[in-house]
Amino acid sequence: MNKPKIELHKIEKIKNGITILKDINLKFSSGKRHILIGPSGAGKTTLLRLLNRMDEPTFGEILYDGKNFKDIPVLDLRRRIGMVFQIPIIFDGSVKDNLTVPYRLRVIPSPIKQDELIKILELSGLQSDFLERKASELSVGEKQRLTVARALINKPDVLLLDEPTSALDHAAGIKLLESIKELNEVLGLTIIMVTHQLEYASLLGGRIIHLVNGTIVREQESEDFFLNSEII
Amino acid sequence: MEGLNFNLIDISYLDLIISLGLIIVAAGISKWQGMYLEGDLIVGAVRTFIQLLAVGYILKYIFAFDRWYLIIFIILIMIIIASLTVTQRQKKRTIELPFIVGFAMTAGSGITVFVVTQILLQIKPWYEPHYLIPLAGMVIGNSMNGSTLAIDRIDSEIKSRKMEIEAYLALGATARQAAGASIRAAMRAAMIPTINSMMVVGIVALPGMMTGQILSGTSPLIAVKYQIIIMYMIALSVAISSYLLTNIRFNRYFTSDHRLKEESL
Ligand SMILES: Nc1ncnc2c1ncn2[C@@H]1O[C@H](COP(=O)(O)OP(=O)(O)O)[C@@H](O)[C@H]1O
Ligand SMILES: [Mg+2]
Repeated sequence: MNKPKIELHKIEKIKNGITILKDINLKFSSGKRHILIGPSGAGKTTLLRLLNRMDEPTFGEILYDGKNFKDIPVLDLRRRIGMVFQIPIIFDGSVKDNLTVPYRLRVIPSPIKQDELIKILELSGLQSDFLERKASELSVGEKQRLTVARALINKPDVLLLDEPTSALDHAAGIKLLESIKELNEVLGLTIIMVTHQLEYASLLGGRIIHLVNGTIVREQESEDFFLNSEII
Repeated sequence: MEGLNFNLIDISYLDLIISLGLIIVAAGISKWQGMYLEGDLIVGAVRTFIQLLAVGYILKYIFAFDRWYLIIFIILIMIIIASLTVTQRQKKRTIELPFIVGFAMTAGSGITVFVVTQILLQIKPWYEPHYLIPLAGMVIGNSMNGSTLAIDRIDSEIKSRKMEIEAYLALGATARQAAGASIRAAMRAAMIPTINSMMVVGIVALPGMMTGQILSGTSPLIAVKYQIIIMYMIALSVAISSYLLTNIRFNRYFTSDHRLKEESL
């Protein structure tokens, strides 16, 4: 068992008086793939957003490499924990303009070399000749790949993905999942992906965390999970 | 003053009352055409009459009294009323909003009025009300409109760009960087009316202050030169106040640790 990258201890999230997450205890292992699965409204997005401090838990604590989240400057933390949203969010300009945003914002100190840009683009499933294309003219699937590539520019250790395939058609979804799997295998990136589709979960594989009504009802390796999956 | 051969006709109170006939005719057209604006026209006419006459008497008194503290006090009152007006036009009012607006307008108009009256025109005494009051009034009035536009726009931009803002934050951007596009859009919205009016001034409309100066006997060329400076003053004061306002205002949408406050949207 790898050492934990992110640990959650007794996490509870209350929004507008409603308990959305309760008693969440979890360990996300370094270099492993994790899938948060569960029905719509289970609290998957809410949980994921706690992991790069887009939101704060009401109670409980989160550790990153054994260090309390609160003791890590939030901007550093977000550089190390990238996030891909459900709907691809593209910035103005070319694909290259999108990829150079972290440098232009000085999140990273030095510009990324052209060959490195191309490498990241290809790892995300886009060809090098995409660099100069206008980002707004890409297909939805290509846009989502671009947001994955953009998240990789910071060289994060962890990548959070919130139903990254939900805006994509089936074929594009499968392709994206294959790229995500490759990112994990090639770069050793820790993956935490939300989905409510069993097919995508089994395709990606890894540790499956089943969330219902804000609590974890089951946590298993995907091989074991799908042996008796009629429960979902 | 470059006096022309021109005798200013004083307007008597009887003249003013007779001029009300213009409004009565306008109200008659409204009634005849079913515009239902007769009431508003009359109320507006009466308010114009009372408000302007009151201001006239106050200014007459101030000019005669000629004390620096009274003039500064009047300018402060103008800023306070302008700040409250801007605040009242907002849907999302907060306790601190009138203070923020007041600060931004004081800085914007204060800097420009200071530069023009003290460094450029070097008025004597420094508080000479014939210069200070109308210049400050013009600048504050325009900053007020600019401020309203700036606040409206930054609020709506942040709301509509929520997802983009979070995408920036997730990449490690600061709250200010993530709100950058919203801040820029709001500053542009505040500036554009001023720029538009610089484009067409004199062609489409004669500015009220210039009209007034010409009517009261000032050479049109002098009036025009003053108007040019006033247009530039307005541009700078709107730029300063909308810059300050937007850069303070965006903060209410973020926590100190660079999170978008969901409940503030
Ligand atoms: N601001 C909020 N106030 C109250 N309830 C909320 C708020 N945001 C989300 N919820 C509720 O929290 C639950 C979990 O939401 P979410 O994490 O988006 O679920 P999932 O991603 O699993 O579909 C849902 O029932 C949702 O209605
Ligand atoms: Mg969700």
